[in-house]
Amino acid sequence: MALRSLNLPGVGTKYEFVTDKGDTVAIFFTKTGSIQMYTLQQGCHTPSAAEMTPVEARRLGNILTGAIIEADQESVEIAFSALADLRITLHTYIIPKAIAGKTIEDLQIRAKTGTTVIAVSRHNMNIINPSPSFVFETGDAALVIGETDQLKSFERELMVD
Amino acid sequence: MEGIVLALFICLVLALVTKYLSVPAIPFYILAGLLLGKAGLGLVTSDVISHFFSEMGLIFLLFFMGLGLKIERIAANRSAVLTSGIIDLNVNMFIGFAASYLLGFTIVESLIVASAFYISSTAMAVTSLIENRKLMLKEADTIIWLMVFEDLVLIILLALISAGDQNLIIFAVKILFVLGILYALAHYGKEFLISILDRDDELPILFTFAAVLTTASFSMYLGVPETMMVIALGAAFATTDPDAFEQHARPFKDVFLVVFFVFFGVTIDLTGGADWFVIGAICILAIVSKLISGILTGIFIHGSALSGIEIWGNTIGRGEFSIALAVLYGSPVVGTTIAAMVIVTSIVGSFMAKYSTSLRRGIVGLGRRSAPPRRIHTKH
Repeated sequence: MALRSLNLPGVGTKYEFVTDKGDTVAIFFTKTGSIQMYTLQQGCHTPSAAEMTPVEARRLGNILTGAIIEADQESVEIAFSALADLRITLHTYIIPKAIAGKTIEDLQIRAKTGTTVIAVSRHNMNIINPSPSFVFETGDAALVIGETDQLKSFERELMVD
Repeated sequence: MEGIVLALFICLVLALVTKYLSVPAIPFYILAGLLLGKAGLGLVTSDVISHFFSEMGLIFLLFFMGLGLKIERIAANRSAVLTSGIIDLNVNMFIGFAASYLLGFTIVESLIVASAFYISSTAMAVTSLIENRKLMLKEADTIIWLMVFEDLVLIILLALISAGDQNLIIFAVKILFVLGILYALAHYGKEFLISILDRDDELPILFTFAAVLTTASFSMYLGVPETMMVIALGAAFATTDPDAFEQHARPFKDVFLVVFFVFFGVTIDLTGGADWFVIGAICILAIVSKLISGILTGIFIHGSALSGIEIWGNTIGRGEFSIALAVLYGSPVVGTTIAAMVIVTSIVGSFMAKYSTSLRRGIVGLGRRSAPPRRIHTKH
């Protein structure tokens, strides 16, 4: 799979690669701000195209990296190939009633699950790196970081209604 | 002043409608101008303000074009750019010049009509490739580079036409002098330019506006074509941070260019003796001639005449640069002819670009039907 990137004058940037099976995928970041994705099946002559907004394109990107996306929960897995292929996942969770009113310390999140809460979004305000004394409220969206197994344990321990 | 407001308001409505229908807006701006101006109702006349606004539109259009010219990238793609570019230039310049001369234009007028006839609209070609989702076609690359080549030819044409009967050596020395200053500024002042562009206040946009205007008036003072020099300024600035300059110059270009198009329509004077036979002939030839050059390019670059149909469909539309040539150098008759050509070709072009894929399929289908059916007889 050789990835080619090209700057097309007046149009934008083009990324194109041919898969091992011989299909071609091309992505264009156009100057108008939209992103167009073309796929061309091997042996076909006319590509099919989809036009996306930047937000839609990022969602698609998340899906393609293997993250699970539900209605209001999404996750991103990042692989650092330089660090012995370290794979780390970020996942958002909506805080259920059962743990509302408790602090991060009360819940012993790190000790029990190995994960860390790195941000909480409440009424469209973001709290980055909440302190151990941070009190959860129902409806908070928490961004949790950890390995996949640790996140599973977070779901088991804390995401119970 | 009320004239500009009325014209702008109508253009705003036209922009909304044409965007909604995804057809090019330029022909409709000109038609609106025709309707409002001398040739139509006479509601709007051009004055000092509209003239200044139009000039800004032209200068910013050319500055923008310069920003997109990256000389080193053209050099890297030389062979493909050259083949298609030279076919396009020779076929269309020849047909355009021969036709206009035979139809009774003078040599100088024929040269201007031929240049306007040759140069396709980059804006329309790029928009049509994006909107009709054709970027992945192999012809798309050819079309994009063809537009770059045409832009380069335009710079040479601007220099040639404005040189007129000046002393060529002094003219060349002056041009080289201004070019030298621009490149020295971009080269030695690169860090200063980038530090200005990085600011969040009004400085970047003020600087962009002032730089373009200063270059234009300095060139006029020296007697070198200001059109060519703002393109050079764009190309020089493109070596620093072209995206930032595009972002800061875009509002000026977008607004003033609309004024430029609509007042081009306003100033068209049909009483100057418009010969509808000549105009019709030029319009039809403008479409046919791009078909010939398109098919030749298709055969030479992609080995298929059908590719040529695709190239043709996206390059029929003449637009901003043809009008620029008409405004800069055209007599009233030349202006009317070019206006009609832009209106006809851009409307036909937008349809052909939308349906060129079906047209190609239709031609392939016809070819199959008319060819004797080849059946392989199998034993039952």
